[in-house]
Amino acid sequence: MVSLHTRRVCRGTTCRAPTQYRRLFYISEILGQIMAAVKSAAPVIAVRDVNKIFNAGSEEQVIALQNINLDIYAGEFVSLIGPSGCGKSTLLRLIADLLQPSDGDLKVNDKTPHQARLSREYGMVFQAATLYDWRTVTQNVQLPLEIMGYPHHIRKHRAQEMLELVELGNFGKHYPWQLSGGMQQRVAIARALAFEPSLLLMDEPFGALDEFTRERMNMELLRIWDRTGITVVFVTHSIPEAVFLSNRVVVMSPRPGRITKMIDIDLPYPRAFETRQQPRFFELITDVREHLREAHGF
Amino acid sequence: MADSAREKMPIIAVDVTRPTRQGLSPLRALLIAIAAGVALLAASLAIIYQNSFVETAEPQPILVESTLGQLALWMVEQSTVENPEAILGQFAKQWAASLGQPTLDEATALNAVRTIMVIFCGLVALLAGLGTIGLLLKARWTRIALLAALIGLDILIFLIPWLEGDSTLGFLLVAIFLLLIALFFSPGKVSKFLGFMVVLSVLLMSWEVMKAFGTATHYQIILPQAGWTYKTYESVDQTLAAVKSGEIAAAIVDKNDVEDSIPPYPDGDVDPNTLPQPALRILENIDGETRFLGLSVRPDFPGRLVVVTRAEDAAKWHAIGELVGQPLGTLAGDFADQKFLAVPRNLVLLDLKITNDLNMPHLQTIAEALLQPARRQGPVLLLRILSAAALFTWSEAAIGFTSGAFLGFILGALFAHSRLMERGLLPYVVMSQTVPILAIAPIVVLWLGAGAGAVAVISAYLTFFPVTINTLRGLTSPEPTALELMRSYAASKWKVMWKLRFPAALPYIFTALKVSATSSVVGAIIGELPSGIRDGLGGAILNFNQYYTSDPAKLWGAIFIAALVGIAFFVVIGIIERAVLGGKIQGI
Repeated sequence: MVSLHTRRVCRGTTCRAPTQYRRLFYISEILGQIMAAVKSAAPVIAVRDVNKIFNAGSEEQVIALQNINLDIYAGEFVSLIGPSGCGKSTLLRLIADLLQPSDGDLKVNDKTPHQARLSREYGMVFQAATLYDWRTVTQNVQLPLEIMGYPHHIRKHRAQEMLELVELGNFGKHYPWQLSGGMQQRVAIARALAFEPSLLLMDEPFGALDEFTRERMNMELLRIWDRTGITVVFVTHSIPEAVFLSNRVVVMSPRPGRITKMIDIDLPYPRAFETRQQPRFFELITDVREHLREAHGF
Repeated sequence: MADSAREKMPIIAVDVTRPTRQGLSPLRALLIAIAAGVALLAASLAIIYQNSFVETAEPQPILVESTLGQLALWMVEQSTVENPEAILGQFAKQWAASLGQPTLDEATALNAVRTIMVIFCGLVALLAGLGTIGLLLKARWTRIALLAALIGLDILIFLIPWLEGDSTLGFLLVAIFLLLIALFFSPGKVSKFLGFMVVLSVLLMSWEVMKAFGTATHYQIILPQAGWTYKTYESVDQTLAAVKSGEIAAAIVDKNDVEDSIPPYPDGDVDPNTLPQPALRILENIDGETRFLGLSVRPDFPGRLVVVTRAEDAAKWHAIGELVGQPLGTLAGDFADQKFLAVPRNLVLLDLKITNDLNMPHLQTIAEALLQPARRQGPVLLLRILSAAALFTWSEAAIGFTSGAFLGFILGALFAHSRLMERGLLPYVVMSQTVPILAIAPIVVLWLGAGAGAVAVISAYLTFFPVTINTLRGLTSPEPTALELMRSYAASKWKVMWKLRFPAALPYIFTALKVSATSSVVGAIIGELPSGIRDGLGGAILNFNQYYTSDPAKLWGAIFIAALVGIAFFVVIGIIERAVLGGKIQGI
């Protein structure tokens, strides 16, 4: 478990690793070594031969997912990409125990998704921010903590910490409808992270944002990921977004939904706006696009 | 070239950009004229009232017949009573005592009313004048001044009496109309209150305007062929005086004008001579069907016109069954224009106003009725009786509303929780509301006994339905992702209810509560009718309904008070909604 020392998995309130030292480690030369070490550990999410069939047996039967095998390791940032109907959201929902697989085996930290959900290992972010209108930003971030029975002072402290993490420290007293779309989505991320889940599951979180906001949010998300070291599963249909953010891009194709290719993204972290101009970035985008096209057959 | 042009520019620019004295635009000039006109009208009202009372002469009817004038006279009356029950009566007694008089002097009271009216009209004139200045200065407070003047004029509608041959009320209506125009175009903020007052003023104004012009129904009275003669008179009183004096044998008049004062000719076996003998009798309704007396009316409007004769003649005419050959006088009161056109001698054309004092009393009459005792020389004002009734009804409605809202919420929550319950029970809930409450009310009263309990149940019956439907709608309103989020937190059903479903439902529930607040008052009023409860508005409405033909203003007063109760309840719920949701939900 050498791997994650570079990006310490933060627990609690004292996550202040000096970035300048860490940067030394983020060299592409040692990335391979890190990835090998990561893979040697037990996966956080282990998907084995999972199928998902909607309306099984009836005329409208849809095979949403067929024979899915996927391992995701601690600290990884994995994107699921594919056209509509490829089952990427379904796969995310299976992991989150919002849906149950028709057959196959799915383990999250060696537990069933149901057990994992009950032990509150999932932070979820949806395409819509899904903030509660009648709660202030702070109260929204506190919501999971309230439900999980955290005492008041911890809730207050944690909410403020999380809002500062997403750079909305001064907006705690605002109501969601007073914020822009990007800010709302940042609150949703703060809320998802507030109870320190081991997994962050994001379902097209920036899909409704404009291009500029989306690129800024991508930077933000990488910064937060860097700070917290959380494992992220990210569903998107934007190729540049997937390439820019991830360690690994899982390309999926529809009818039936299946994984066609996994592409390791060997761009060095920390990634910045300049990353988007690197030739390697474009190569990887082309690579992903090729595989998407291949799966689609055009 | 370009350079030299640029050099010259500033010189020209100075001329152009300097704020020039803008001339008065025609619209603004008109507005200023209007506001000034309103100020003058209000000032002349003040002068009219100033001159309405001189110690040495009879007070003018405009003072005596006004709402406050009548109230003052009642206070004078009350000051003669040993222990007046009404607060104003006690006040009158104290006032008289402070002046060293045993009872309040009529002149003193009327003089006080005059002072009040002069000050009030003067204030309105001042406010309108202020508005004129505001329009001149384009000040932001113009609208506020004009609005205040408008409120003053609206109040005056309720104070200034309508008198025959007197156009004061007409001037007042003109002033309101002009002021509305000025308000529409004047600068300043448009508040909710301003909108409310403008619409209210338009309603009050149209009420009186409709009364003034009314829709007229065209009547043709066909007289018997042989030698009838007829005359017209200016008013009911003159017509009836002509009958009394024997100048004419009979008069055709509007039934509404004479019904209270003149008894009908007795029917059947009763000997008219055994009855008290009034001067005049209503001989017959002219209804177009029977040709009794040889009169018929087109178009049919049964019962609206009657024939009045002298009491001693009544038996004779009644026995003969016709008035042939006798002189006949027509017309009175609400006959707008008595037209004796160039029609055959046996045809009389009449225009009868629809909006007469019976179906649409003057607003001032209604206000006056509220500020007069319910019966002649009664101990307390109608307003006080109705206020007590309103409070009583409201307390019933409040109990019904609270229990109904509670029941409604529980049902809604149950339906949101269980699909089976919703499918099974909702049709019955809907069905319960299709049954008219008037049919249910007597049954409820039979079951629970006549009393406030039954009334509250009937009120609750009307209340719960909107709350149920909206609670159901509200509790199921959160998006699927909001529920998935809760699921990802492994939140219990109870937590999902209180943290998500209930807060999301609150705006829906409050909307329903506002609807229910008004209908609970309706339910309470309707519930009182079969319960025989006399203390509430239902009892009052039932009571005044019986006397409508003689005193419509009282029923109108009761209707206004009932409406006020509903509105007040609605506003209270609105305030609570604001306190609970204000600033949290967009738009509330």
